[in-house]
Amino acid sequence: MAVTIAPAARAAGAEKDKDPAVIRSLIFVRDRGIFVLWALLLIAFSIWASPYFASVDNAILIANAAAITAIFAAGVAVGIIGGALDLSIPGTAALAGCVCGWLITHGTPTWLSIVAALALGAVVGVINGLITLRGFNPIIVTIGTLSAMSGLAAVIVGGYTIPGLDSLTFMGTQRYLGVPAPVWIVAALFAAGTVFLTRTRDGIRMMAVGGNPEAVRRSGIHSNRYKVLGFVISGFCAALGGLVTTALVTEANPAASPGIIFNALTAVALAGVSLAGGRGSLPRVLVGALILGTISNALTLKGIQPYWATAVTGVLLLGSLALEKWVSTTVSRRLVLSAHASTHTGTR
Amino acid sequence: MDSPALELRGIDMHYGYVRALDTIDIEVRQGEVLGLLGDNGAGKSTLLKVMSGVHQPTAGEIRVHGTPATFASPADSTHAGIQMVYQDLALVDAQDISTNLNLGREILRKGPLGWLGFVDHKAQRRRSAAELEKLGVRTAAVTRPVEMLSGGQRQVVALARGATRVAGAERNGVLLLDEPTAALGYEQTQQVQALIRRLADQGVACILVTHNLPLAMAVCDRIAVLNRGRKVADVPVAETDNDQLVGWITGARPSMF
Repeated sequence: MAVTIAPAARAAGAEKDKDPAVIRSLIFVRDRGIFVLWALLLIAFSIWASPYFASVDNAILIANAAAITAIFAAGVAVGIIGGALDLSIPGTAALAGCVCGWLITHGTPTWLSIVAALALGAVVGVINGLITLRGFNPIIVTIGTLSAMSGLAAVIVGGYTIPGLDSLTFMGTQRYLGVPAPVWIVAALFAAGTVFLTRTRDGIRMMAVGGNPEAVRRSGIHSNRYKVLGFVISGFCAALGGLVTTALVTEANPAASPGIIFNALTAVALAGVSLAGGRGSLPRVLVGALILGTISNALTLKGIQPYWATAVTGVLLLGSLALEKWVSTTVSRRLVLSAHASTHTGTR
Repeated sequence: MDSPALELRGIDMHYGYVRALDTIDIEVRQGEVLGLLGDNGAGKSTLLKVMSGVHQPTAGEIRVHGTPATFASPADSTHAGIQMVYQDLALVDAQDISTNLNLGREILRKGPLGWLGFVDHKAQRRRSAAELEKLGVRTAAVTRPVEMLSGGQRQVVALARGATRVAGAERNGVLLLDEPTAALGYEQTQQVQALIRRLADQGVACILVTHNLPLAMAVCDRIAVLNRGRKVADVPVAETDNDQLVGWITGARPSMF
């Protein structure tokens, strides 16, 4: 624990230092607590809502119900981790769905329409990013693009929904190996996103920029491109979410529903992703979305009014905040203790 | 004797009509710790910013290892082997020590994964541990997030980050330290002091800006004092004392030059 400055020779002989058990368990609670919470919920619901809850079919149901929230939550989370809350997600989603629908009804191949819609999401991200780099508050900027994009979506489809997009069912209601397409999409998205954020240079730098842009800049890295990258990824996720929503109902709707962002934010906050940026992990966000789905599923199974699910979710969210606070104060108290201890360890 | 690691000749710096620096000559050699003292507004920070490329001097010449250099930006000075350790540390709290030390010079994996930009975490941790060991520093495990470190440990990590980028190269670089112990307690100050000495012993040239006279006396080889933009003293520590230095800092004692 103590900062010991020992002669190099002595340090070389010292065994590889490990963090003390307390610190390790605190890190565990902080990083893995939500998995434990979900496991507890699953066990509790399996007993409480037996025998309907604990079945493969119901698990698939939960996963499918959580899929849309999870996709948008991934976008929100990457945005926040990269240092900016992207509120334009519902607008981008609506625009992507409408553009894809419009292209399909005007004879464009389905795959090309999808690629175009996803690319459009990324472009919206670039726009958000470039405006924000000019020194404007990202929240205001993305509120602006939110209404710009949903307005644009309505213009494109003339204010009406585009029905009958049956060629999209392959990524909507279609099942592969018994698992619905949106669940596969979520799995792929989160796997790719997690690998990107934790294993690649660009992902790590993006997280670092979200945490402390100055530190990154002083390391000789152009931090601006990573800020834009965060918006691009969240725009891409928004477009993907919009497409999956469209595919599920085979109908492109220009109305951007702000509810999307609040559901996603709940999942993200439950996952302990700090709004200050720079921290958080996608697997936790996925579990956050799954917890929301699990609660509403179990309560529905027991025939309890769905409002209770919302209430329970809110209480859980507040509880997770309390836990996080406890972890951080405990850590700082431990650090103060160890700082005292180090005055007796002797230096040099 | 070879040329100084960093040498400034006749540096002038004007802000409008204000003369922040007035024909400053200063140099630091490899393995030397130069203390830079002065009251608030004496020009210490401005001089440091000239050295780190944040400000461009109105007139004067900068030489790095004898080669004339112009710093149009902080990147230029970093490139020339000059690293600044700021008072506010600028660490990424949520990331671990290893990631912080390797930011901007990541080790990529070999083969196709490396082409995709995959980072070799294991190699980075090994390198960080080795570098910290070479500095004679043991903080916590290199996988510990910085936010779970004490103030002293963070300072050590920030120093090490600067040091690892200037030490070990063919020609050692220059480390600029701005009040490295401002936020630290007595014991931690002792530790940072020991680390600075160790860096100098490894051949790094250090410039230490501080208000802490005992620290300067303990760690520096030579001390330069600035007063209202002019250098009023430049003496080996062995040939001066507290009272003289305070005299130069306050202006009560006439300039050496």
